[in-house]
Amino acid sequence: MGKSFRLIIAVVVTCVVAAGGLAVTYLATKDRIAEQVRLAEENSLKTVLPDAAEFVDAGSGVLEAAQTAADDVDCSAVYRAVSADGSLVGWGLRVAGRGYGGPIELVLGLDSTGKVTGVTILTMSETPGLGTKVQSEEWFLEQFKQLPEGFDSADMKELDTISGSTKSSRGVRNGVEAGGRIYTDVLSDLAGGE
Amino acid sequence: MGDWIKTFKQGLSIENPLTVLMIGLCATLAVSTQVQGALFMGLAVIFVLTMSNAIISAFRKLIPNEVRIPIFIVIIASFVTIVDLTMKAFMPGIYQFLGIWIPLIVVNCAILGRAEAFAYHNKVGLAIADGLGMGVGYWIVIVALAFIRELLGTGKIVMFDATLIGLPSGYAPPGLVLLFPGAFFIFGFMIAITRALGERAEKRRKAVTS
Repeated sequence: MGKSFRLIIAVVVTCVVAAGGLAVTYLATKDRIAEQVRLAEENSLKTVLPDAAEFVDAGSGVLEAAQTAADDVDCSAVYRAVSADGSLVGWGLRVAGRGYGGPIELVLGLDSTGKVTGVTILTMSETPGLGTKVQSEEWFLEQFKQLPEGFDSADMKELDTISGSTKSSRGVRNGVEAGGRIYTDVLSDLAGGE
Repeated sequence: MGDWIKTFKQGLSIENPLTVLMIGLCATLAVSTQVQGALFMGLAVIFVLTMSNAIISAFRKLIPNEVRIPIFIVIIASFVTIVDLTMKAFMPGIYQFLGIWIPLIVVNCAILGRAEAFAYHNKVGLAIADGLGMGVGYWIVIVALAFIRELLGTGKIVMFDATLIGLPSGYAPPGLVLLFPGAFFIFGFMIAITRALGERAEKRRKAVTS
């Protein structure tokens, strides 16, 4: 009894002290981490939709419908991009297609007609130097801007893939393709406003 | 004082965690594709190893033998989480590259191994010297490996968005170097070289004493 009690006390004390230390670290870094995440997303949105002055969350109803349209691709945010005078300039989407090393999270900009205005990669865990070419080879993300309004999988087949990074390229393409589906199924009906 | 230096040097040479003990290789092979990332991975390991060694050694008489492993893991995991949160907050770019490998330092056997084999049985000063020695030994090897792999695999060394060294543009980098098989080949050569150097030093020592 006395012995096992000592063991329990030792583990409990260690855990309590460790938890206390971590709580302090968490509180000290929490705001900065949230800020970094927000900054990264805002920068991406501004890159893909340079004409917009503000990005307004489109609401949970739209997001739910977008996720249904995106099917097996993850859609985690939909933003309404508005210009300084309040008119709609397009849509910002955060989608994640499956790459080689895990999900590739993209920020995708669509103008109000459904054409791609830009694609940036927010997070990915592709093989550095191989899969990461989807980001470092600039033409790859640029080519999505050639897609026509209301593009679908047939249009995607016209695009090039990076040799040696087939799966990573496909992950990005699937993400963009889901963006097209989201536009056709959900966003095109919303263009007029609320 | 002499003991501390001797312990520190062991981590760099005859007990190097990577080229001699060959522990904690998984994360090493994974992140040694980029010098910048490897540099910070090594620093994270030095910090966690030294701190956990110090704490475990300081409380070694209070930690009951039967539950030492769970207690070691809690201590190590706490320091790793501190590194994890701090990197996320202040170095998001580097954190994005290292990703899952930072949390996985918890299960890096180089750290638990030193806690069990050294810190639990030695005084605080020695345990810190051991942590620093092992950590710096790890750091040197991972950065050297990353240097070779990044240079051969991408044709250049990039740090903080600046190209430090570039091979002639006619060089076509073999992608294999950046994948795991390439890591094993290069790491194998590194072990062979350290072995050869070690043997030569040994022979010379014998020649002097006899």
